[in-house]
Amino acid sequence: MLNTLITHELRTIVLSPKFSLTFAVTSLLMLLSVAVGIAQYHDAVRQYETTTALTQQEMREARGWMSLNNTVLRAPDPMQIFVAGVNDDIGRISAVNSFRGIKLTHSTYSDDPVYAVFRFIDMAFIVSVVFSLLALLFTYDAVNGEAERGTLQLIFSNAVPRARYILGKFIGAWLGLIVPLCIPFMLSALLLIVWSVPMSPDHWLRLLTLYGTSILYVTVFIAAGILLSTATKRSSTSFLYSLVSWVCLVFIVPRAGATIAGQIVVIPTVAEVEAERDAFAKDRWARYEETLQTTWRSRNAPIESMTREDREAYREQHMWEWMEEDDRNRKQVQKDIDAFALSANEQQRNRKAEQERLAFALSRFSPASAYHLAAVNLAGTDITLKARYEDALNIYRPLFTAYKDKKQKESGGMGGIRIEVNTDTGVKIDTGREKGVLDISDMPRFEQPQRSFRDAAVPAMIDIGLLGFFSFAAFAGAFVRFLRYDVR
Amino acid sequence: MEQQPLLEANGLTKRYEDGALAVNNVSFSVRPGEIYAMLGGNGAGKTTTINLFLNFLEPTSGEARIAGIASHADPLAAKKHVAFVSENVMLYTNFTAVQNLAYFVRLGGRTGYTTEDYRRVLLRVGLQEEAHHKKLKGFSKGMRQKCGIAIAILKDAPAILLDEPTSGLDPKSGYEFMQLLGSLRDEGKAILMSTHDIFRAKESADTIGIMRQGNLVMQQSRAALSGEDLERLYMEHMAGVTE
Amino acid sequence: MVRLIIEKELRDIFTSSKFLVTFGICSVLIILSFLIGARNHQVATAQYEASKRANDLQYEGVTDWTRVQEYKIFLPPQPLATLVNGVANDIGRTIEVRGRGELRSQDSRYGDDPIFALFRFLDLEFIFSIVLTLFAILFGYDLINGEKERGTLRLTFSNAIPRTGYIIAKFIGAFLALAVPLLVPILAGILILPAFGITLAGDDWLKLALIIGAGIITVGAFLALALFVSASTERSSTSFLVLLSLWIVMVMIVPRLSVVAADQIVTVPSVDEINSQKSRFMSQIWNEDRGRMNSYTPPKSQNVQEVMAGFNKFMQELADAREKKFNELSARLNEERTNRQAEQQMLAMLVSGVSPSALFTLAAGEINGTSLRMERAFLEQAKEYQRQYAAFMKEKTGMNTGGFSFVVRMVTDDDAAPPKPINIRELPQFAFTPLSAASGLGAYTGYTGVLAVYLLLFFAGAYRSFQRYDVR
Repeated sequence: MLNTLITHELRTIVLSPKFSLTFAVTSLLMLLSVAVGIAQYHDAVRQYETTTALTQQEMREARGWMSLNNTVLRAPDPMQIFVAGVNDDIGRISAVNSFRGIKLTHSTYSDDPVYAVFRFIDMAFIVSVVFSLLALLFTYDAVNGEAERGTLQLIFSNAVPRARYILGKFIGAWLGLIVPLCIPFMLSALLLIVWSVPMSPDHWLRLLTLYGTSILYVTVFIAAGILLSTATKRSSTSFLYSLVSWVCLVFIVPRAGATIAGQIVVIPTVAEVEAERDAFAKDRWARYEETLQTTWRSRNAPIESMTREDREAYREQHMWEWMEEDDRNRKQVQKDIDAFALSANEQQRNRKAEQERLAFALSRFSPASAYHLAAVNLAGTDITLKARYEDALNIYRPLFTAYKDKKQKESGGMGGIRIEVNTDTGVKIDTGREKGVLDISDMPRFEQPQRSFRDAAVPAMIDIGLLGFFSFAAFAGAFVRFLRYDVR
Repeated sequence: MEQQPLLEANGLTKRYEDGALAVNNVSFSVRPGEIYAMLGGNGAGKTTTINLFLNFLEPTSGEARIAGIASHADPLAAKKHVAFVSENVMLYTNFTAVQNLAYFVRLGGRTGYTTEDYRRVLLRVGLQEEAHHKKLKGFSKGMRQKCGIAIAILKDAPAILLDEPTSGLDPKSGYEFMQLLGSLRDEGKAILMSTHDIFRAKESADTIGIMRQGNLVMQQSRAALSGEDLERLYMEHMAGVTE
Repeated sequence: MVRLIIEKELRDIFTSSKFLVTFGICSVLIILSFLIGARNHQVATAQYEASKRANDLQYEGVTDWTRVQEYKIFLPPQPLATLVNGVANDIGRTIEVRGRGELRSQDSRYGDDPIFALFRFLDLEFIFSIVLTLFAILFGYDLINGEKERGTLRLTFSNAIPRTGYIIAKFIGAFLALAVPLLVPILAGILILPAFGITLAGDDWLKLALIIGAGIITVGAFLALALFVSASTERSSTSFLVLLSLWIVMVMIVPRLSVVAADQIVTVPSVDEINSQKSRFMSQIWNEDRGRMNSYTPPKSQNVQEVMAGFNKFMQELADAREKKFNELSARLNEERTNRQAEQQMLAMLVSGVSPSALFTLAAGEINGTSLRMERAFLEQAKEYQRQYAAFMKEKTGMNTGGFSFVVRMVTDDDAAPPKPINIRELPQFAFTPLSAASGLGAYTGYTGVLAVYLLLFFAGAYRSFQRYDVR
């Protein structure tokens, strides 16, 4: 009997003329978004490679080890094709050098704000907006529509248990909507292969999980549609309610959650934090210079009474040692500043994490947010993307500067541009090395931070669990309502 | 003295785009103080004829005239002289009976009625007073038909078109409805009514026309018809269609 | 007659549960957007002030203007930018100004706080372009075929009702019914603003009024579209599905696809490419100057100050020459990119013009000054400020700081009085002049004009369809 019910429901949905049309259009849409995403991914890879190559060349042609500056780029990841997340909002590039902390700049949207006006369309967006609506549209009158047509009465004049009927409804609708959804999913995966997107097994696993999450998300709306159709007498009422709840859940709650969280937990801007750091740095450098002055004064004290020749000899003898000492001090200052910046950054991040927790808590009421959060986590384009890169860069930067210093020392001399001011000979400039290229083949490379599937899936688990809970709750609600439904 | 007919069909023909001939060269007329009953089974062309009078459809040839005005030539002028009650009167379910009345009567071009007028007419058509200010949501079909006829009365047009007005009504309501129609006839209205209820037609109509597959196969005054005739005719002309 | 139908239409809608629900959502949303906008503006202003203060604070106790290597300027928050975000959250809010060199804005709101980028804000533009357009469809999808399904259309047209009057009345009635849930909370929202200490200047009022005006025309266009489809279909369930598909295409897909399409058609050189070209050129001209520096001979003088002055002059001249060369290249590259970008943007706007809601987004951004012009305006004003800053620094230190010059500090053992700290406030202050309503009026009128044309076209379509509509 359950079979009959399911088959009937399936047939009702799939054979309706609207069904094939809407599914064809939405599937095309999804394929289009994936195709565009792949094209953009390839563009991004090309750009990444060109810029990296240019940076390498620039480094080789640098004036000397002292002026060696690296530029690190975020490498594009195939998962951004499906879920753009914050990928286009956060910076793509950071300079890595000894005198400035790392900072990701040049986001896609700030470079080309025209994209920001309307933003991009990705698969996650289509699933979360269009497919949820479709699910509601094909289920909002599942039960009360039958009551209106009078067929419900006829059905229950037979010995049909209610529980089985509603279960049949749900399974039939689920099969009818989910199976067609799998078609664009599979075709999208095919596109990846055809257009040779480098997908690792890890990527495939993520994509598969993403597909699974999408199906779960649509399930929530199928169950919600059935719930609404059992909770109301007339299909026009359930239609209105389903539309309104769709607007609220998909558009309003997620935005309101984040916005309200932003009101409650206020975070200082990056500019403010940087200004604090700069103030600290200025102060430290000023103090360094002061001590430098007194040190030099004390260094010069013993030679006051010497003859000019002795003075020169004394200086010649101690110069290297003094400069080393100064260099050590200078490095200490830089270290202090970096430490300060790190701790300030840490504080900023903690406050942010608080804000984010609140925003998530508020917006997770909506399955659309839960889905979106799970999707960005699985794709690695979540809000921790920036922090992950900053951490990796902060690990890389000391490696790079240490390498630079080592090379500098090996090449001898202080390097860079030296300007000598001598009361006897005036100003003399030495710009150092003039020809040849630097051999940077043994330079430490920046390792793009990789997040294993496990690490990505763990934060996504909460949201996937929530989606499961939502679908279960909605279906349970529909079930309970229907047991008491007036079938007349 | 012979009065001018208020409703008049002259060689009225309607052929749909798919070629089906719905009304074929039908001619009849209804004078003031006359009830004309169009009898026929489903698909005989009764409703199409009424639709042609109301210019809901354009005639393929011939014309339907209301108060001498061809309704396809000047529908707005023609419709001023006619009130219409459909088979299933549908009104705004979120309005009360009086609100519906007020709206449709004013749409019909009549203003200046008071609440008392609405009350009086609703009582005349047999709608209990407590229903007057209720929303139409819970109204039965009979109650809605009463509202429909009330609207037609208040519009006070010389001609009234009724499309199967008594179908689906219980016998008592149907009887009351026909009584009301009789009193309207006595006021001098020209009434064109389509129906497949042969006995009602026999009771109250002055002239009976029988339609079959778009043709007006017979037309006779009630006086000229005996009960047996009518039954025989009905069997001949109508039963075949419904089989 | 028309008035009667309008009255009926209003009563019909006002008593429906549809109206109650939409009115409720609209009120909550609009008032929430005003509340949030107001709070947001307060927070943003506080942040702006804090950033400025912290920036000034770092120069506390500095005794020498030459130590002021750069000065950060900030984009102040605009009161209306929180109601119509535009690209205000996507573009950089901070610019580091040096005496010379290129300026670049950084620290966008979304870049700083990706959480908002993930969910985006709840602003008036979103409410109009997504929620209200959907409500317009909800109000309009069954205007004609719904009456037919209810059976009332037949009764109505058994009377002497001209179709023209009827459809006009239908549209006006539904439009008025839709305008109420819109204007009431907006008015309430506007009244809230002063409570948050947000005062709108005259120009802001004009902007707000024009934004709301464009929003109403947009809603009208969608309503006319709904009327059109409703008058072209027999069943309201069909018209709803058609309209919903059109809505998704117009609101979600066309705008986004337009950008992608424009991107595929017009190739804009990437920032990376240009930057790398620039930095290669820079190191090339550096290398050229290196020889000159190595062969520099100081003026023959025993006076330290004189020697230093001569040296600085020499370095300044080199730097100026380099800057000139660099600027030429940079201007050329930037112009090329800007032109291409403009081309791309034009194309994107053109394609997105297919969608009324995209047109609204563009019109609102233009009049509000949060369109793509905002970043350009910020950069241009920052450039102007850079000139003031350079002039000021030159006066204070005798040279153009920043860029590639050297500061050589002389320390003498004289026990002179300790140097006095500088007052950073002496620096010319950057004051951002927001884009005026007048500056965006041209583009606004264009976009709104097209919107109005859409409205008329859709209505004309509805009119034509209804003339032939089978009212049986």
